[in-house]
Amino acid sequence: MNAATYYFVNGMESETRSIARGLRRRDPDLLDRLIEQYQHRLLRYLLYLTGNRDLAEDLFQETWIRVLERGHQYDGKHEFSTWLYAVARNLTIDFMRKKRPVSLDGLMENEDYTPPEPVDSAPMAWEVLEQQEQADLIGAALVSMPTEYRETVVLRFQEGLNLDEIAAVTGSPLGTVKSRLYRGLNLLVSRLRGGSHDTRRA
Amino acid sequence: MTRDAHDEARELIALQDLSIAQQRWLQAHLDECVGCREFAEDASHVVRSLRSLPVKADPRLVRATQMRVRFHAARLRETRERMWLVGMACLGVGLSATLTVPLLWRLFAWMGEQAGVSTAVWQVGFACVWIVPALVVSALLLLRGTHLTNREGSQEL
Repeated sequence: MNAATYYFVNGMESETRSIARGLRRRDPDLLDRLIEQYQHRLLRYLLYLTGNRDLAEDLFQETWIRVLERGHQYDGKHEFSTWLYAVARNLTIDFMRKKRPVSLDGLMENEDYTPPEPVDSAPMAWEVLEQQEQADLIGAALVSMPTEYRETVVLRFQEGLNLDEIAAVTGSPLGTVKSRLYRGLNLLVSRLRGGSHDTRRA
Repeated sequence: MTRDAHDEARELIALQDLSIAQQRWLQAHLDECVGCREFAEDASHVVRSLRSLPVKADPRLVRATQMRVRFHAARLRETRERMWLVGMACLGVGLSATLTVPLLWRLFAWMGEQAGVSTAVWQVGFACVWIVPALVVSALLLLRGTHLTNREGSQEL
């Protein structure tokens, strides 16, 4: 391990341990900072997990309440985001179980899907339209996928988690994660192309 | 080219974190296979689009969440402090009871002797005096504890 990697890894460990200590103390300033830091990522994950903006926003708040209550369970040995996604995921499953006895696979109702809003970074009008159109297209394709594939694809390609982290969040074996990722991406590509994606042409 | 080779190539495209050997094998396969090359291009486009997909949290949601978390943290702190006080009170009561029981026992024995009642009578009297207040306090503490638990439970829902 070279010096830069050593300092990077140590710095990251020190950061996660500091978060773990703060969560054990239920430090409100730390929680404020974490909410700010993970606001977009967590909401995006919940939005694509549930497919409903209102529900995602409710679960967003509940997730942070649960982080406050169960913060002592975070050991600081892994990335905080991995633990946060696992909390959000379990909360979503709990919520859906209370609402109706279904698994995560049956979580989604397509008609409830709310397309994501574009980020306001003052782009040109045509850029906004194009961005919105693209977002709608991908959002609709994501929503039409089975939840376990969608979740894996979102965690990998949107949130940038590695395969081990996704396995930790979803509680699935690594092989299952790989398979879901492959099938999910395959499905997404084919849906965006508007048909089956037969690439087995030599 | 076998069907497995195409599947393997697409799996590697999806996984992305590849070893040097896997990268070489994949590159060689893509050079030969038009279908997998198209898939790789499409997958790359989809992944880029996913990464740039714009979703933002409403600042009002963030502020509301921060306020709710702070409020809930204060409630939890308050509950913990109360439970700590209740625990300390129980400890104090237990200690004082342990220390005073022998003295009370002797007092009741002396009073029974003076009043000329049987041993069983003053012993029942002692048991009532010693146990009843503890039962009342325990019941009150339990009620208080249950009440707190219920409040927290309803908050979570």
